[in-house]
Amino acid sequence: MPEKKWMPRWFYQLASPKWCYQITGKLLPIFAWLALLCLGVGIVWALAFAPPDYQQGNSFRIMYLHVPAAILAQSCYMLMAIAGAIGLIWKMKVADMAAFAAAPIGASMAVLALATGAIWGKPTWGSWWVWDARLTSMLILLFLYLGVMALYAAMENPNTAAKAASILSLVGLVNIPIIKYSVEWWNTLHQPATFKLTEKPAMPVEMWLPLLIMVIGFYCFFAVSLMMRLRNEILRREKRASWVRELIVSQ
Amino acid sequence: MNPKRKQRLALVLLLVVGVSVAVGLALYALNQNINLFYSPTQIVGGEAPKDTRIRAGGMVVEGSVKRDQESLRVQFAMTDYAEEVLVEYTGILPDLFREGQGIVAQGAIDGNGVFQAVEVLAKHDENYMPPEVAEALEAAGKMPKPAEEVFNK
Amino acid sequence: MVEETNIATISMSQQFSAALKRDLLLSFRRKSDLFNPLIFFLMVATLFPLGVSPEPTFLADVAPGVVWVAALLATLLSLDGMFRSDYDDGTLEQMLLSPQPLMIVCLAKTLAHWMTTGLPLTLMSPLLGVMLFLPSDAMLGLVLSLLIGTPTLSFIGAIGAALTVGLKKGGILISLLVLPLYIPVLIFGSGAVQAAVAGLPIGGYLALLGAGLALGFVLAPLATSAAVRVSVSG
Repeated sequence: MPEKKWMPRWFYQLASPKWCYQITGKLLPIFAWLALLCLGVGIVWALAFAPPDYQQGNSFRIMYLHVPAAILAQSCYMLMAIAGAIGLIWKMKVADMAAFAAAPIGASMAVLALATGAIWGKPTWGSWWVWDARLTSMLILLFLYLGVMALYAAMENPNTAAKAASILSLVGLVNIPIIKYSVEWWNTLHQPATFKLTEKPAMPVEMWLPLLIMVIGFYCFFAVSLMMRLRNEILRREKRASWVRELIVSQ
Repeated sequence: MNPKRKQRLALVLLLVVGVSVAVGLALYALNQNINLFYSPTQIVGGEAPKDTRIRAGGMVVEGSVKRDQESLRVQFAMTDYAEEVLVEYTGILPDLFREGQGIVAQGAIDGNGVFQAVEVLAKHDENYMPPEVAEALEAAGKMPKPAEEVFNK
Repeated sequence: MVEETNIATISMSQQFSAALKRDLLLSFRRKSDLFNPLIFFLMVATLFPLGVSPEPTFLADVAPGVVWVAALLATLLSLDGMFRSDYDDGTLEQMLLSPQPLMIVCLAKTLAHWMTTGLPLTLMSPLLGVMLFLPSDAMLGLVLSLLIGTPTLSFIGAIGAALTVGLKKGGILISLLVLPLYIPVLIFGSGAVQAAVAGLPIGGYLALLGAGLALGFVLAPLATSAAVRVSVSG
């Protein structure tokens, strides 16, 4: 098929469950160590050495969990939707499996972001929960994750389930810009972003550096859990393939 | 053009038209004050409806907080650096409530133009800094203040 | 060969109106499909004065939200039937095999669904407004918001219905899939009515509902037809 040459080679290699299983097996320990290192350093630095805020005192430190969890909940949704789209368009099985693997991780990140946000909101704003645009759209994100997971659970044929869930997650993608810009469009109680790609962060280095490390650590942790779930899923769905049998026999 | 291509072109055109209509309407809506949020300037200017549940935001004016000795009643003034509005509230204020702090209050304006709040929440901005830095900035008079437009959306 | 070109020359608008007529005719033949959501709408609205408080000022306060939630639930209830019978008797499969784009059929079906649920609900809403002591100034806002908002509910709902039509127990699952996407419509819909009650301009809310409708109109038939394909072939 000559018309397919415009995609890079690794893209097609990824489509092979076997190749994907092998490469994630090599990458997994690297990311696991990175995650351990970043989260360890980040937590100790954030909780013990970063200076307290001039207004919020020590309670602002929950940011070091809240912000990475919230960022990850959104990027995980993006990943799920994009993987789903790839699965729909190129009929790539591994992409379907990755979308399936991502859903519960994203949902738990959304729960973590909402829970830490509530704990942070009480001392700062004076309320556990406010029905403003940012919080509501984040809650909708959690519901979308739960809907996608329910759809996976309801369908017995994994291929049909993957296609259906991909369509649903693509539809739900409209929520992501709403979450991102809700603090700018409406006058929400939630603060605008402290980190912006285009500007200097609105906090000193000794505060944002541990945050950055935590964000990287969360991403590495996400990669690790995604790869672990993906490898499981590959083995489960490819259980009839000869290479899986050989793998199991050899162990 | 064959019919298949014609269909595709029609579909793409429809998509572009639909999305641009949606964007146009959304932009129009964002210019309306949809979440009933008013700044002190708008309240003083009479733009905000009276006796209707609205939200208002501003900075607590230095030295304006008066607490009732008997009850939990508090009175303070709120400003957007242009106009001031008196706010009355009965209840427990958030820990972060202090003079010079940004707040968002929910309530209604009474006949005297005083904002009767049923809920006062502290709004934290995106600036974080250690106490020493804050003191130094304060001394130098370079403390970052929320821009006026934060309360004038 | 001659027959094939004949099929291909049916224009998209002809196909659309044929599908729309068929669906409307079907639902008028089955009167219960037409009236059940309306009765449900009325009953849910009755629960609030009886279950919470019959006090007029309280009811007037909650009326915008109650009418909107009731309309939303009534729409939700009727979604499962949208593709169900066509799926069961194989009609949907035939539509999928026809040379015309499936999108057009989906658009027609969604519109037929709105005309048989959303539109009657909208027309009936002033009655509920009166029952719940909604100020008469706000009636126009209520009807307008439902008129713009309920088609969006049908468009989003069609996606959910198409995704679950292949499953035996689609009912609860549809709600799980569709309700999160309904939340914004509910917020701006009841917001419009609340603004109308307070005598504030409702243009902003209606514009947002309109933006949702425009997006739904162009994107939902795409997603619905893709979902129908998945459900029928899977």
